[in-house]
Amino acid sequence: MSSIATAPPPAPVPTTGAAVAQARKKAERRSRWLWRALGYATFLAIWQFTSTYLVQDFILPPPGVIAEEMWGIVTSDQLVTHFAATLQVIAIGFGIAFVLGTVIGIAMGRSRWWEGFLGDWVMVTLTTPGLVFALVCAMVFGLSELGPIVCVVVTAFSYVAVNVVEGVKAAPKDLGDMARAFNVPGHRALRHILLPFLAPFFFTAARYGFSVSWKIATLIEVIVGTEGIGFMMRREFQSFNMAGFLAWVLLFFALALFLERGVLQQLMNRANRWRPEVAK
Amino acid sequence: MSAIAVRTRPAKRARNRRLSRIIRSPRLARVLSWIAFLVIWQVSIPLLPTLLVPTPAEVAEFMWDEIRGDTLAPQTVYQAFGTSLGRLSLGLAIAFAIGLPIGLLMGLSKKASWFGHDFVVVGLAMPSLVWALIAAMWFGFGTIAPLITVVLAAWTFVAINVAEGVRNVPKDLLDMGKAYGVTRFDSIRYVILPSLMPFFFAALRYALANAWKGLVLAELFASTNGAGWTIKFWYDAHRAQGIIGYALFFVIFALIVERLIFGRLSAYVFRWRPQPGARKEGE
Repeated sequence: MSSIATAPPPAPVPTTGAAVAQARKKAERRSRWLWRALGYATFLAIWQFTSTYLVQDFILPPPGVIAEEMWGIVTSDQLVTHFAATLQVIAIGFGIAFVLGTVIGIAMGRSRWWEGFLGDWVMVTLTTPGLVFALVCAMVFGLSELGPIVCVVVTAFSYVAVNVVEGVKAAPKDLGDMARAFNVPGHRALRHILLPFLAPFFFTAARYGFSVSWKIATLIEVIVGTEGIGFMMRREFQSFNMAGFLAWVLLFFALALFLERGVLQQLMNRANRWRPEVAK
Repeated sequence: MSAIAVRTRPAKRARNRRLSRIIRSPRLARVLSWIAFLVIWQVSIPLLPTLLVPTPAEVAEFMWDEIRGDTLAPQTVYQAFGTSLGRLSLGLAIAFAIGLPIGLLMGLSKKASWFGHDFVVVGLAMPSLVWALIAAMWFGFGTIAPLITVVLAAWTFVAINVAEGVRNVPKDLLDMGKAYGVTRFDSIRYVILPSLMPFFFAALRYALANAWKGLVLAELFASTNGAGWTIKFWYDAHRAQGIIGYALFFVIFALIVERLIFGRLSAYVFRWRPQPGARKEGE
């Protein structure tokens, strides 16, 4: 992000050769897609070759088998059951974590006292591996539904908090002073000064928090879940069914990556479009 | 003591002010937060739906026993971390050996970058849990599965950072060097390597963090020793003080790596910089 923010603006295209430049751009785009497609083709070819000739099917099933398996999962009602279970944990856990992290972040950003009070704990939860929280939650809550949610909250809130702290600390004080001098009412100052400024930080917080949430949710389901993506991953893992395992993993991670990179990133770009220096 | 008896009003006010400054000081807040945490922990034990939660004293006792090398687990904390650390460093070395040429290629050639970019990005985003389970299925119990997990979880971070670094080598400095007849060796030593260093550090840091998570998981699922496996041992033994104690060892370990190794190393590598911390890669 920082390198993007500090990068100089792109050099203007010489107007005399505009048509030439456009043609070159087009050629470059075509070549880019060509190479990209080539990359996918090579990857699939190597995969197919390896699974056909080099290793046995249960070690690396050919892409076709996995696609079939995925289709089987999509058409069965398993998909809805397990995706809904995991997404519910993520939604509740991440929702609570976001609110908690925002409150903690604002408190820490505005007051040195709260920063001293909460700072250590945010850092400690940030550096502790998620596995530890997963195991402790599994032990304390057993198979109850509360365990995964608590685990997601504990892991994700610190990622939200650190980003919000950054934002609150960097908030433009001079604009706030000016608003006060011109008697701008509080809610309008909040709406037009603070929130627009904080928006990118909130989105970064949401992206990191979400990315951590879905990883930890699947992890704890692998350890103690009774349904959900992680539970299915463990079941396939324990029956050494590589095709089923990869099918579940690919399906879910496609969805998670779509939500993370597609939806959240798009929202972020929309919210940032008035600020060319942070919009990507 | 006699001074208290004869204190005047201004002295009292100054005393009050000092008191309020102490109460408002962030340092007291920090101390208070630790005390509050321990108190909440101690108080909430009976409220939780299980008898397995240890008291802070039990965790402290566990850690003290571990530090003295007195443990019920097959490996002491030193042996466990030693085993894991050995796997981690070997795996990271392999990951650098794989990621470095790929990163160089992707940084130097646009076509190579288009060719491989999507796979590297998917590799970056893939949770280490998946790598750990795949490696476990491939290699079963032993040393190889954790090692492979480290490589799989780390190499993409190396490749992407090296590629980014290669794209950021200052071309004008190289041109100037050529104009002044600087030898190839000197321009690699004094221009290319220093400008690559920040990216190298980023690569090492991210690769290390992700590989460590993957390694612990792989040891949990597919090994018979190491730090991850020892946590699993305490989990299976229903000793939560073991898990929490190990969690604290992990934090201590991370702090040591961060402060001692990264701090020293980056201070040494970046000693030519006028101000440590004031870095702007875009320039």
